[in-house]
Amino acid sequence: MTVTLLEPAPASGIDTKAVEQFLFHEARLQDEHRYDQWEALWTGEDALYWVPMREGADPTREVSYIYDNRPRLASRIRQLNTGVRHSQAPQSRLRRLISNIEVSETDEGVAVESNFSLIESRRGLMTIWAGRTTHLLERVEDGFRIKRKIVNLVNCEEAIGNLAFLV
Amino acid sequence: MATAPLSPAPIDYRHLVQDGRLHGSLYTDPAIFAQEMDTIFHRGWSFVAHDSEIPNQGDFVVRRVGSQSLVALRGKDGEVRVFYNRCPHRGATLCQTASGNRPRITCPYHAWTFALDGRLIGLPDEGAYPADFSKADAGLTPVARMDSYGGFIFVNLIPNKLTLREHLGHATELIDALLGLSPTGRIQLSAGWMKHKMRSNWKMIVENQVDGYHAPMVHGSLIAANRTFATVRDRKPTSPTRVRDFGMGHSDIDHASDYRAANDKLFRWTGGIDPARLPQYVGAMNDAYGPEDARRRLIEGPPHSMLFPNLSLAEMNIMVIEPISADTAVQYTCPVFLEGAEDLNARTLRRCEGAMGPAGMLIADDAEIGELTQMGVTNLEPEWIILSRGMGKEEVLPNGVKLAGLMDETSQRGFWSHYRDVMAGSQENVR
Repeated sequence: MTVTLLEPAPASGIDTKAVEQFLFHEARLQDEHRYDQWEALWTGEDALYWVPMREGADPTREVSYIYDNRPRLASRIRQLNTGVRHSQAPQSRLRRLISNIEVSETDEGVAVESNFSLIESRRGLMTIWAGRTTHLLERVEDGFRIKRKIVNLVNCEEAIGNLAFLV
Repeated sequence: MATAPLSPAPIDYRHLVQDGRLHGSLYTDPAIFAQEMDTIFHRGWSFVAHDSEIPNQGDFVVRRVGSQSLVALRGKDGEVRVFYNRCPHRGATLCQTASGNRPRITCPYHAWTFALDGRLIGLPDEGAYPADFSKADAGLTPVARMDSYGGFIFVNLIPNKLTLREHLGHATELIDALLGLSPTGRIQLSAGWMKHKMRSNWKMIVENQVDGYHAPMVHGSLIAANRTFATVRDRKPTSPTRVRDFGMGHSDIDHASDYRAANDKLFRWTGGIDPARLPQYVGAMNDAYGPEDARRRLIEGPPHSMLFPNLSLAEMNIMVIEPISADTAVQYTCPVFLEGAEDLNARTLRRCEGAMGPAGMLIADDAEIGELTQMGVTNLEPEWIILSRGMGKEEVLPNGVKLAGLMDETSQRGFWSHYRDVMAGSQENVR
């Protein structure tokens, strides 16, 4: 798969506990629909939030579920913040578990891969989502900012229902 | 899944589908769903695939039409054929992935092997079959009829009396309008299909594709959040945009009538890109059609239409509706790449992702409303759905096409009127 940033062995000198805490914090903001706080985790520009339809897809030729640059991400958050984005009004009840975290240092920043499983409860239906996420994090004074986030859903090639919450 | 009714009493479609109102059971009754699969999807023409999806020999896509799994496959001779996705030997499914490329088709069960034109070319221990067994009789089964227009391939599984051209009628003009945005007259559906599961009846998706009434309400959140979307077209009841009923169940929202009203402006259909930013595309269009005609095309843009029963030319997206059961459907979406317009295609891809599919800032909300409507119509009362907006006020052109205001339900009534003819006609023929 071409989106992997990890080297075979984790690089030393990274505070993996701090990385882990950052992912858990991000997960909680998403689960609790704290849209502005989640958006504030992102870098100012040059950001990419990508949910492909196929592992190893070429996003310049193939359509993705989400391929947000920074302005598009801001639009997405503005829309959710209206409170009348019907597909998230009412909001899904969400809780996700993050695990299998692997961290490495790259030229671009700290690369993190992790697995997630996410339970969505909405309108009497429990839906299980799962996948592997690649984060590229930038170090800042008070921790990290997200430069790139790629979410490979295990069912990305199947028909999926609404994915209007933050994954 | 739909099951056959216990007592196959005829369903009176002329009662259930009236001018201006519909019976709620049309969206919920499994018996009606089963009849629709047979009558509309198996006995009528349905879209199956586009020529550009399988450009090379051995390329295939697997598609569902009605209840049937079909394989559209390009042979060594360059011809596309459509076969049932079933081994003629013992019935195993032949192609299990949505698309791919194979030099030949080999069944996973007993390795019966078929050439790309469907001929059985090999099977283990062939000599053990009786003397009258002939490989020539055991090839893949092609669909009864297939035909294409502008690269759009349609199938008719149980032959009816109509040619594809008769089925399409005036809708060929919509396909022509889309293809006419390419300097070569060709489109490419090569970006893959979003597959969006919707918990609503397939006909609700059909109706919504050409509904000019809902946008300010259902998409109010995007209008509030995105200035381009908010201003790109006139969505007021007084908008110059017309909805059109072409007959044969085909209809559209003619945004060109709005775009022409401000005819100094090209590319409103792309969200208002400055033509100077698309020099390659604009140059190729001028070369292909001459400046005046190219200008008209770039003002008017692509159709926003629904072709009976399952194909939507949805501006720069192709959408296909796949019924699953009375209360579930899958909507497929693929951005339209215009051959000879690489600079525009890159933007089309990103626009598709912003608006369409399960995470799209438009369509996720349409899916939500569809689900709410499906839940709503399950209630027994009121029995009828009101679909009379603008009824009797349509302008009828000499060729029979009906025009109405943007928010009128003329487009949906066009679908339902043809639906009633097809479904009732089939019942009456059986009696």
